[in-house]
Amino acid sequence: MRNRSLGLTLLAVTALVVSACSNTGGGAASASAPAAANPCAGATAHSGGTHSFPTDKTKWKIGVSTDVGTVNDKNFNEYTFNGAKAGATALGAAEPPVVVPKDASELAKNIQGFVDQNFDIIVTAGFNNGQATNCAAHANPDIWFIGVDQGPPCVTPDGLPDSAFKCAGDAKTLLPKYVAISYQEDQPGYLAGMVAATMSKSGSIGAIGGITLCGPCVRYIQGFQLGAQKVNPNIKLFVSWVTTSDFTKAFNDPVTGKNFGAQFITTNKVDVLFQVAGKTGNGILDAACDAGIYGIGVDVDQALSYPNASKCTVTSAEKKLSLSVSTDIANIVAGTQKGGDDHWDAKRDGIGYSPFHDLESKVPATLKQQLDDALAQMKAGTLKTCPDKCGDISTLPK
Amino acid sequence: MDALINALYSIPLVGLVFQLGGYIIAVGPNVAPGILQAATPVALAALCGVMCERAGVVNIGIEGIMLTSAFVGWYAGVLLAPVLGTADLGPFGANPALVVALVIALVSGVLISWLHAWLSISVRADQIISGTIINIVAVGLTGYLNNLISKASPNGAGAFTQFKPPHELTDLPVVGWLLGMFLSQGPIAMSVIVIVVIFQVLLFRSRWGLRSRAVGEHPRAAETVGIDVIRVRYRNVLIGGVFAALGGAYLSMEATNSFQQEMTTGRGFVGLAAMIVGRWSPVGAFGAALLFYSSTALGNSIKFARPSGDLGTILVGLPAQLYDALPYLLTIIILAGVVGRSIPPAADGQPYEREATA
Repeated sequence: MRNRSLGLTLLAVTALVVSACSNTGGGAASASAPAAANPCAGATAHSGGTHSFPTDKTKWKIGVSTDVGTVNDKNFNEYTFNGAKAGATALGAAEPPVVVPKDASELAKNIQGFVDQNFDIIVTAGFNNGQATNCAAHANPDIWFIGVDQGPPCVTPDGLPDSAFKCAGDAKTLLPKYVAISYQEDQPGYLAGMVAATMSKSGSIGAIGGITLCGPCVRYIQGFQLGAQKVNPNIKLFVSWVTTSDFTKAFNDPVTGKNFGAQFITTNKVDVLFQVAGKTGNGILDAACDAGIYGIGVDVDQALSYPNASKCTVTSAEKKLSLSVSTDIANIVAGTQKGGDDHWDAKRDGIGYSPFHDLESKVPATLKQQLDDALAQMKAGTLKTCPDKCGDISTLPK
Repeated sequence: MDALINALYSIPLVGLVFQLGGYIIAVGPNVAPGILQAATPVALAALCGVMCERAGVVNIGIEGIMLTSAFVGWYAGVLLAPVLGTADLGPFGANPALVVALVIALVSGVLISWLHAWLSISVRADQIISGTIINIVAVGLTGYLNNLISKASPNGAGAFTQFKPPHELTDLPVVGWLLGMFLSQGPIAMSVIVIVVIFQVLLFRSRWGLRSRAVGEHPRAAETVGIDVIRVRYRNVLIGGVFAALGGAYLSMEATNSFQQEMTTGRGFVGLAAMIVGRWSPVGAFGAALLFYSSTALGNSIKFARPSGDLGTILVGLPAQLYDALPYLLTIIILAGVVGRSIPPAADGQPYEREATA
């Protein structure tokens, strides 16, 4: 009896840990799971034959399916929704309905809900929605999908999401109406690096990424390195990764992030710290504030999205999520939008840096001009913001 | 002396061990406070486990209790901050709203433990099921309420801050880093050490401790000498709830000052593992939690700044994944080699039925 109950405990513990992981890890965790028979079970086609789009552009039905969390998160969900709203307003169409999943298991269901109601454009927010959006686009090649931060899409020759990441299929032809938005992360990273090197007094700056498997994270930090070196060629950059394997720890665990960040700061004695680690990174920004150094946020203006650390968040490496979504909606309705990877960089005003907010007075007056010059050079295509091996982690300091 | 160290370093293997020792001594003091901070929620979860299981009640709902208290404490702070104010009360960045919110968080932990106690002791339901229910409900309920509330992104009541011990103390030779480790902490992390010591003494040296253990080992025998088994079990589960709630409150009120969906990320379960590695004793469980996070911190240290010498050369060649796996490897080694067989209390997980009523 004793043994049985202990065994039961252990079994239940394991089962729960496993289920807990698969919940919090979201799409990321399921992507790393062993290839299931059909990753798209549950994604079905809409009813009523081939979808026809309304000729009156005020009649377009646009729906938004966010990632887990809330709509007003001042982060991916909010700016995606704002973009869709702006897109709809420009058309004169109704304000898009928005659905928020309770947990990662509902992502696909929410998208399917819009499909079943014969929506014309379905916008999904964030990388976690990537697989579900890809599946829905595969089952419904005749309606438009906009996936924010989901490009470039990696599909099998059948057009299904490729969990092995071989990317043998051509998403552009296989899924002609799936617009997977991607960003040139090294460019905002470069701007963040310029800010970091300018604000650093010690000449030592740091960058912490969530997980080594995250390509965009690597590009952010590669740009960060080049930008910092542009301002100060002798700058010392320390780079570290919260984990090599655990997505929950990498992006969803601020307590671990704070602990990790504090140890990173005391060991490496940096005085500006760039975080590329989602909500784990919020803890890293906390650690920066506690240590009395500057933090730099990522993806959105984190002085707004994470007010806890706004007093030390000097700027953020930003993706202009709203602009990408509203532009794509306009292009779709105008008939000029193409499927596949929809890449946003400085040329399309898809990236930038956030205002300095409360720390404006601490920032040298010349910095803003330098940043705007760099942005202009990026637009002109004359500034190299990523090393030749862009996205290759081996170029970063260990 | 230097010559001796150099000579030792040059011997293969022995040299490596010495280099590792030297490295740990060099980086240890800096990371020690962080180790205790990371270990705090897990240690408290483990103490909750010891408290319950020593009296014969398996509690795998610790994760759920922690999550609920983390949420309740944070949200109570949000509600109370405008009412009670956030004027600084002095040490630890405490303010009236924060202190009252902490008390409310502890009460919420006790209430959920009460549910577990009622289900598993009075109703004699399967204790695993009862704990599982608590975990599932906690994830759903806190996630849903957080969605509703955080739309307005309210400001909480702040968080407890760390005590900064005078550097005369932490600069002391040999023991300075240890003092730093235990004193550079917020109130909850500091309280863990106190709880561990008191709990250990009471469990093995007091009448209450003897009765608890008797109830966990052989409730029938305990009943025959006049111990009220049901009462002892209730009491222990409720006290355990306070520990788990404290661990949860640590996450949202000391480590950060915000709540986040599923922010416990399995710490309650790691706590149960620490309890087993620590052989159901408070000091052992605390030690196990420290061990887990020491190895994590060591892994991080090696990532941040590699040791010099042959050791560094070898470590550079190792895959980074190995450092992530270090806590688990160490646990296996310690469990298999040092701790030996870890035996739970004999009546662990068995509901007790009074003979008269049976």
